[in-house]
Amino acid sequence: MIFELNKVIPSIIADRPSVELSDVWGKHIIWKKGQFVKITAPSGTGKTTLVHILYGLRKDYIGDISYDGKNILQLNPNELAQIRQQHWSIVFQDLRLFSSLTARENIELKRVLYNPIITEEQLSEMANQLGIQSILNQPATKCSYGEQQRIGILRALMQPFDFLIMDEPFSHLDNANKKIAAALISAECKRRNAGIIITDLDKDDHFDYHISLNL
Amino acid sequence: MLNLLLRKLIRNHSGNIRMATARLGLAVAVFLLLTAVQIQTNYHFLLKSPNNKDSIADFLVINKLLDNDNLGNTQLDQELIDEIAKQPFTESVGLLSPSRFKASIQSISNQFPFYTDISFESVPSNFIDLKNIDFTWNPTANFVPVIVPNMFLDIYNFQFSLSQDLPQLTPAIVKMIVFKLTVYGKNGPISFNAKIVGLSDRISSMLVPTEFIQWGNNYAEKKSDNTVSRLVLKTNDPSNPAIATFLKQKNLSTNTEKLRYSKYRKVIDTVVAISGLAGGIMLIFALIIFTLFVQLTIANCKQEIILLITLGATPNQLSKFLLKQFYPGNLLSISIATILVMILQWGLTIVLEQQMIHLPVFISWYTLFTAFLLAVLLWFVTNKAIQKHIDS
Repeated sequence: MIFELNKVIPSIIADRPSVELSDVWGKHIIWKKGQFVKITAPSGTGKTTLVHILYGLRKDYIGDISYDGKNILQLNPNELAQIRQQHWSIVFQDLRLFSSLTARENIELKRVLYNPIITEEQLSEMANQLGIQSILNQPATKCSYGEQQRIGILRALMQPFDFLIMDEPFSHLDNANKKIAAALISAECKRRNAGIIITDLDKDDHFDYHISLNL
Repeated sequence: MLNLLLRKLIRNHSGNIRMATARLGLAVAVFLLLTAVQIQTNYHFLLKSPNNKDSIADFLVINKLLDNDNLGNTQLDQELIDEIAKQPFTESVGLLSPSRFKASIQSISNQFPFYTDISFESVPSNFIDLKNIDFTWNPTANFVPVIVPNMFLDIYNFQFSLSQDLPQLTPAIVKMIVFKLTVYGKNGPISFNAKIVGLSDRISSMLVPTEFIQWGNNYAEKKSDNTVSRLVLKTNDPSNPAIATFLKQKNLSTNTEKLRYSKYRKVIDTVVAISGLAGGIMLIFALIIFTLFVQLTIANCKQEIILLITLGATPNQLSKFLLKQFYPGNLLSISIATILVMILQWGLTIVLEQQMIHLPVFISWYTLFTAFLLAVLLWFVTNKAIQKHIDS
């Protein structure tokens, strides 16, 4: 399971001088399953754009991205959905929780979207680790940003994946909660031999990164 | 569990009352369409079923329309007979052979005296509707069998017997009476015993076996010139308006009452057309409404559907979920309409049974197949609408 980026440049920033300095844009890059990849960049340099391009949400770029040898632009909606169910998981910067569901239902939805690999007991155990056990029955969007972020992280861990793509996943968490969340993510990724692609503003030591790039 | 969560996210925004009304409309539309099909199949069943053979309707006695121009010239020529036989509505043609000898019948009982001159006709035996009778004759037979129109017995019982102070006779008694039949020919009169062996509505004529007619004509030395003035037409569809048109065109006549089925058919065709048209229009509206409901639901849940797909829900998963939301209710409407048609058919069978008209208790395969086709059509339209709006 390999992500291969071949001279990818988003159309919207193609003319910016910063593209020339990037370790990612316009370069040929290969990320393998099991690798922890950190992409660091200041605001406005296209971190969220990169995440959305990798996850197949944006198609406005030049160059090619292939996953396991298949150009992701050529996947039909059902093929892309199957990859998202079984190979890629994501934590959005803007969280994207369903306002009409409780925290538990938001997490549960991802668990049962495909054949569940996490039991309800494991879900409760993970929620307990992240400190959100008590708010699971509250409407998700009524929770604090920090709680919503941990709901988003837990939701992403509910499915099988080869790559966990995260866009500033700890931006609303204090250091203690960052460590707890990172430990859980790291353990789950290692258990599945999955890779991480994480974007953030600054360098950090939350994970043992194999690759660290500036965007 | 997934469906439970999806139900919370993708709510049906068409509203329960509006949805129920649309489904009621769908049920009415399907009911009208199925009723139209069932009426048509019932009608064809009545025409084709041997249990319902209407002896008047299926057998038409045809002769030339008598007017001042063809008095004494009412023979049907062979060309016309062949043309009649070739018509699509003709199943078979039987020639009526008239007696060309003088004959009389008289009672042999003083208690029940009568005497009258008479004539007979014969038809091929397959045109006779009475079963279990021996309708043949030879010169050594004990009696000549005669078939009399029911109408004659009615005239006797309800007119003649009253005016002559004679007893009324049941069909069973009539069949027991033996009378004397006298044929007048070259060697003088010859008498036979004769008996009425049956009463019939099919052909309004005094019928005797063909063998007796041939013997009598020979005895009277009447040349058999094979001219035919009347024939019996057996039709497979007495309701076919083409029969009346053909007869009129060829200046032929039959009892117009015998063609009443063509009038019934027009009425039934009209009822079926109105029912089918109304059902068809209602079905189109129902399909449009359900398509709009699908569109409305998807439009109202657009953000949720986009996020579901973003998180990995396949369009197929969502389409199946939406189909489950819409289709079972519509299938229920079709099922209820089909059951109503079944109940109607059952009731109709009971009512008509009292009038000796036999219909199948169960609705026809055509009707069931139509219901199945409508279910498939509705599934197809709903599925297409869902996929179209999910993909967009």
